[in-house]
Amino acid sequence: MWTITFLIILTIVIGLGAYFLFIWSVKSGQYDDIEGPKHRMMDDED
Amino acid sequence: MLRCKHCLLPVYEREAIYDDEGNVFCCEGCKGVYRLIKHEGLSRFYRDRKWDAQEGQRGRGLFNRVDAAHFEDLVRTDEKGLKLVDLFIENIRCAACVWLNEKVLHRTRGIISARVNYATHRAQIKWDPKELSLQDILDRIISIGYRPKPYSESEHLSQQRSEIKDLLIRFGTASFLSSQLMVYTIALYAGYFQGIEQDTKLVLELIALFLTAPVVFYSGMPFIRNTLAGLRHMHFTMDALITAGALSAFIFSIYQIFIGGKVYFDTASMIITLILLGRYIEATAKGRASETLQKLGELIPKEARRVVSGVEERVEMVPVSALKIGDLIRILPGERIPIDGRVIEGETETDESLISGESMPIFRGKGDLLIGGSINLNGSILIEATKTLKETMLSGIIDAVREAQMRTPKIQRIADKVVGFFVPLILLIALATVSVYLIKGYPLHESIMVGISVLVIACPCSLGLATPLAVLIATTMTTSRGLLIKGGDVIEKVKLIDRVIFDKTGTLTLGNPTVKEVVLLDRSITEEEALHLAASLEKHSEHSIAKAIVNASRTLSMYEATDIRIMPGRGIRGTVKGREIALGNSALMKDNKLLIGEQGLSAEVYEQRGNTVVYIGWEGAVRAFFVVADVLRQEVRAMVEMLNKLRREVYVLSGDNALTTSVIASQAGISHVIAEATPQLKQEIIRKFHSEGRSTLMVGDGINDAPALTEATVGAAMAKGTDIAMESADVVIVREDLLTIPFLIRISEKTYGIIKQNIFLSFLYNITAVPLAMAGMLHPIVAAAAMAASSLCVVSNSLRIRRT
Repeated sequence: MWTITFLIILTIVIGLGAYFLFIWSVKSGQYDDIEGPKHRMMDDED
Repeated sequence: MLRCKHCLLPVYEREAIYDDEGNVFCCEGCKGVYRLIKHEGLSRFYRDRKWDAQEGQRGRGLFNRVDAAHFEDLVRTDEKGLKLVDLFIENIRCAACVWLNEKVLHRTRGIISARVNYATHRAQIKWDPKELSLQDILDRIISIGYRPKPYSESEHLSQQRSEIKDLLIRFGTASFLSSQLMVYTIALYAGYFQGIEQDTKLVLELIALFLTAPVVFYSGMPFIRNTLAGLRHMHFTMDALITAGALSAFIFSIYQIFIGGKVYFDTASMIITLILLGRYIEATAKGRASETLQKLGELIPKEARRVVSGVEERVEMVPVSALKIGDLIRILPGERIPIDGRVIEGETETDESLISGESMPIFRGKGDLLIGGSINLNGSILIEATKTLKETMLSGIIDAVREAQMRTPKIQRIADKVVGFFVPLILLIALATVSVYLIKGYPLHESIMVGISVLVIACPCSLGLATPLAVLIATTMTTSRGLLIKGGDVIEKVKLIDRVIFDKTGTLTLGNPTVKEVVLLDRSITEEEALHLAASLEKHSEHSIAKAIVNASRTLSMYEATDIRIMPGRGIRGTVKGREIALGNSALMKDNKLLIGEQGLSAEVYEQRGNTVVYIGWEGAVRAFFVVADVLRQEVRAMVEMLNKLRREVYVLSGDNALTTSVIASQAGISHVIAEATPQLKQEIIRKFHSEGRSTLMVGDGINDAPALTEATVGAAMAKGTDIAMESADVVIVREDLLTIPFLIRISEKTYGIIKQNIFLSFLYNITAVPLAMAGMLHPIVAAAAMAASSLCVVSNSLRIRRT
C-alpha cells in the first residue's frame, strides 16, 4: 500500500509540474507561431 | 526560355542582362536586388524559396515609397528609449521570405531585434531612434521587394486569438487530467477481471473522481454554460448532448462509488477532451485564414491637399476626415482621389476599375464627378468636395458590406441538425426506461440511475471530431491548391451552391489591358519598330493602356523621348528619333492632321468588338494602330465546362458596359450575362437569386464586388484584388487559378458526404450499446470500447478525403 501511495503522490507532483509548465508556455505565447520554428531551425546562426 | 534569377519571370535571350557570374536577369532592378542580397551574404534565399514562376512579382510596389506617417500611431517607446513597431509585411510567401526579412533587418545598424511571424506576416521591430528612423527601416524592407503596411489587430481578430488561447488551456488541462486518469482506470479495469481489494478500489475511484471533476467543471464549463443558455429556448445543440453525457456519467459514477459498483469517470472526461480537441482544430484553422487576411485598406489617402486661398494657390495638408463639402482640393497625377467631388479645373483620366469595374480609364473634365478611392492618372486637377468622408461612395460600399456581414444567416450545420433530433429522442428513451423500471417495482433511485446510464452510453465522443477532422483535411487540401478558407462552415455551404457568379474585370479577365494585335498601315515599318516607338513615349505615362504598350514591346532600351505632352482623354505626343509622334485615339490624330486612310477603317471593326484602338502616326499619316483589350484568363473556358459538368449555372455579373461584357462572356462560353451593375445592384441581384431559392457562389476582386461577396452564400475573392474584397469573402483564391473553383465544389461535395458518414459512424457504436444500458447491464469496458472504436472509424474515414 505504501508503495502505491508513494507512487501516486510522485506522479501527481511530476504531473502538476508538467501542467504548470504547459500553462506557462501558453500564456507566454509559445504557441502563437507554430509554423515558424520548424523553418527557423534550419537557419545557421551567423 | 530563360528565367530571371531574381523574379523568375521569363526573359527573351536577346533582352537578358547578365552579371559577372553569368546569372540571367530581366532588368537592372532585379540585378540590383540580387546583388544586394548576395552582398549581404544571404544567397540562401534563392535556394530556399518556394515560389511558382508565374507568381513572380511584376514589380508591384517594388520601388514605391511607403510614407512613415501612416505608421506613427503604432510606434511605442520602451523604458530605455528604444522604439518598437508592429508591421504587416506584404508579399511574404514562404519561409525564405521570412528569413530574408529578418536577416536584412538584423544587419541594419541600429535595429536591435526583428522577428517576423511566419503565419501572420507580422514583424515586430525594435530599434534605436538615435541610429536610424522608421522611414529608413521601411525603405530597407522595400529595397528587398516587400511592402510594409501598418499592422493593427481588429477587435474581432484579437477576440478570436484569446478564444483560441482559452480553448488550448482548457483542452490541455483536460487531456493532461485524462491521461492521468487513464492510469487509475486501467488499474480499475484489471480489478474487474482479477478482483481487487475494496479499499484499494475506493482509493482509486476517489482519485479518479478528483481528476475528473476539473475536466467536467473547468474544461467543460463552456458546454455547460451554452446548454443552460440553450435550455431556456428548449434548444438542443451539440453542447447539450455533451453536457448531458458528461454530467450523467459523472453523477452516475459518484452514485456507483456509494453502492460499490463500477465507475465511468473515463467516459465523462474523454467526451469533453475529444470534443475540445475538435473545437480547437476548428478554431485554429479558422484563425489561420483570417490572420492571413488581416490587411489594412490603404485605398483612401489619409491626407489631402486643401487649397486655402484661391488666388495664388496655397495648399495645406489636412486629414481627409476633416474635409467639408465645398472644400477645394488639389490632386496631382498618380495620386488617389481622396473624396467624392467635382472637377473645377483641369482635365485628366481616372482609373475607377476597383470601384466601378470599368476596365479602361475614363476621361474627366470640368464639371465631371469623381469617385473617392479611384486613381488620378495623368492630369493635375482641382476638385470641389461634394461629399464628406462618411458619405462617399466608398464608405457606402463598406457600410453595405458590414450590414450584409451582420445579416448573413448561418446555415444549420449537419451535426447540429442530427443532434437537434437525437437529444430529445435519447431523453425520451431514458425517461421510458425509468418508467418501465418504476412500473416493474424497482426503487426510485435505482430506476433513475438506469435511465442515466442510457445517457452515459448514448453520448458519442467522436461526434465532436466528425466535422472538424473532415473539414481540417479538406482545408489543408484546398490550401495546398492555393485556396484559403476562412471558416469550417464554408465547406458545408459550398455543396449547396447551384449558381456560380463571376465578376468580369480582374476575375474572368486579367484585369489589365493587353495589346492583342498590331496593325500596320505603313508597310515601311515593322511591328516591333512601331511598338518600340510607342513604348518609348508611353513609358512616361501612368495610363493602364500605356503600360500595356510598354509591356508589349519587350525591349528595355527605350529611345529617348523629348517634348512630351500628355493629353488626358486623347493620348500622348512627343519627339522620338527626330520624329514628332502622336499616339492616341482618333481625335488626337485629327487634331494633328494625321490621316487615318482607308485601311484604318478596319479599326472600327475592332472597336465594335469591345476593344480599344490606339493609333500611332507622324509626318502627316497614321502609321499603325494597336488593338488593346482586357483578355480572358486562359483557364476560364475549361473552368466553365467543368462547372457545367458539375451542374452549376454560370453567370457573369459586371459593372462594365454591356458590349465589353458580352464579348468576354461569349469568349468564356457563359450565356448568362448581367452588365452595368453598380455595387449595390450586384448585391441586390444576389439577394434576388436567394429569394428564388438559389444558393450562390460569387467570385470577384474589386471593392464593387464586396457587398455581393458578403451577400452570397459563399464569396470568393482573388488575392490580387482589393483588401476589402478579401475581407468580405469566405474564400480567397491565392494562386489566381480559377480551376480551383470546380475543385472547391468537388472537394466540398466529397467532404459533405464524409461528414455525414462520420456522424453516422460516431452514433452507431454508442447506439448499439443503448439496449445494454436499458437492461441495466452496462459495463465501463463497453463504454470505453464504443468510444475508441467510433473515434478510430471517424479518423480513418476522414482521411479518405485526401483521395479526391
